[in-house]
Amino acid sequence: MSGKRPIKFKILELFLDGKEYWNYEIVQKIQEEYGMRSDFQRDSINFDIIELASGGMLRDVEQKVDDNGIYKKGFLLHKYKITDFGIQRGSDACLRYV
Amino acid sequence: MDLKALKKQESKRKISKGYMWAFFCALFWGIWYLPGTVVWVLNPFDKMNSAIAETSGDGIALVVTAVLITAFNALTVMLALMVWNGVLGKYKELGRTLREFHTCSKWFFLASICGGPMAILGSFIAMGFIGGSFAAVAGLLYPVIGSILAYYWYGERISKRAAIGIAVIVLGGVSIYGGGLLNELSSGNVPWIGYLGGLMAAIGWGTEGAIAGKGLDISEPDAGLTLRFLGENIIWWIIIVPILALVGFPMYSFAVQAFEPLTLLILIFAGITFGFCYVTWYKSFPLIGVGRGQGIGNLYGFCAVIFIFLFFGDVPDWTIILGGLLCIAGSFIMFTEDTSALETLRGD
Repeated sequence: MSGKRPIKFKILELFLDGKEYWNYEIVQKIQEEYGMRSDFQRDSINFDIIELASGGMLRDVEQKVDDNGIYKKGFLLHKYKITDFGIQRGSDACLRYV
Repeated sequence: MDLKALKKQESKRKISKGYMWAFFCALFWGIWYLPGTVVWVLNPFDKMNSAIAETSGDGIALVVTAVLITAFNALTVMLALMVWNGVLGKYKELGRTLREFHTCSKWFFLASICGGPMAILGSFIAMGFIGGSFAAVAGLLYPVIGSILAYYWYGERISKRAAIGIAVIVLGGVSIYGGGLLNELSSGNVPWIGYLGGLMAAIGWGTEGAIAGKGLDISEPDAGLTLRFLGENIIWWIIIVPILALVGFPMYSFAVQAFEPLTLLILIFAGITFGFCYVTWYKSFPLIGVGRGQGIGNLYGFCAVIFIFLFFGDVPDWTIILGGLLCIAGSFIMFTEDTSALETLRGD
């Protein structure tokens, strides 16, 4: 596990390509990379995304109902895009090693 | 269920959870003043205070005792947060966050300087010199410092509404400080160090918030807050307590005596309430917005006054109650300004 960045750094890094991603896409990627398999850890990663959005670094651009249980059946899925502030904070935090 | 109904349900759940966290923050923060006041009359702190007073005078004795109490408070908060992180399975994230010193964790260590030796020490000094209600209500002035700092540091504009809120809080401050001061000036016995402690609490918490925010927005608060208290423990146990011991104060001999069941119990009680008031404070922000989170969190001043009345039977002066009411009203005026956050949470 050495060399891994904090989870919020990693989330911002994934969004830094400027594309829009669904929350479950990001959550699944982090779960795999960090070996966080439990439902509790899944929800905790999702809460990190919510915190980044409330901090003005991500913007909630689209919602849809999770009919097929991709993430949590019957709940809402959110699609996010990085904001200018997010790009600035993300670049400060993540691009040092690039 | 259709998209619209689901959005409504989700935002309802978010808002009620957010208010619950913020309310718990106010409760924990308010309760903290109980162990904080009680610990002063327990051994070894009681003995330490009178022992140092004999050689160095009352003022220095109270400040040095407050240092040891604050150091133990930091230690038990750290313990409570380590248990919390263990339960959440966040030790790995803690390590990852700690290693990002340059971009992230240095802000927590800087924040701990303002939080520990300023705000928390100041609060304990105010509790020791004047009393728990005064200490709690004096701390309510912190949003004024925070917004002035944000104005100079981030160039954040202070709106008309925020300015009105600040003015109301300052009026509250005048009432909190002025009421007691008038009585004491006439009797000729003014506990200046206690008032200074109250100011330290407000200035310390205001600056801590502005600095810690720089690291917290890109880290998990559970990990970030633990590092902030790691910093405070380093300041007390590795820097200040050894320096005071070198200067000749009996820090270690009294510190060892704190491992006594009742004293430990009260200190752990302080650690749990203080640790969780920080955790719940940060949990509320993403759900209801920083403004509402802080506005409701500030009800701690009121909770503290009520708890102190219930447990100790102390009725604070009416000037302190009036000042506390003004501070809470002012913080609601200041913080509930931006309604857009709640509207986006509501969806449409």
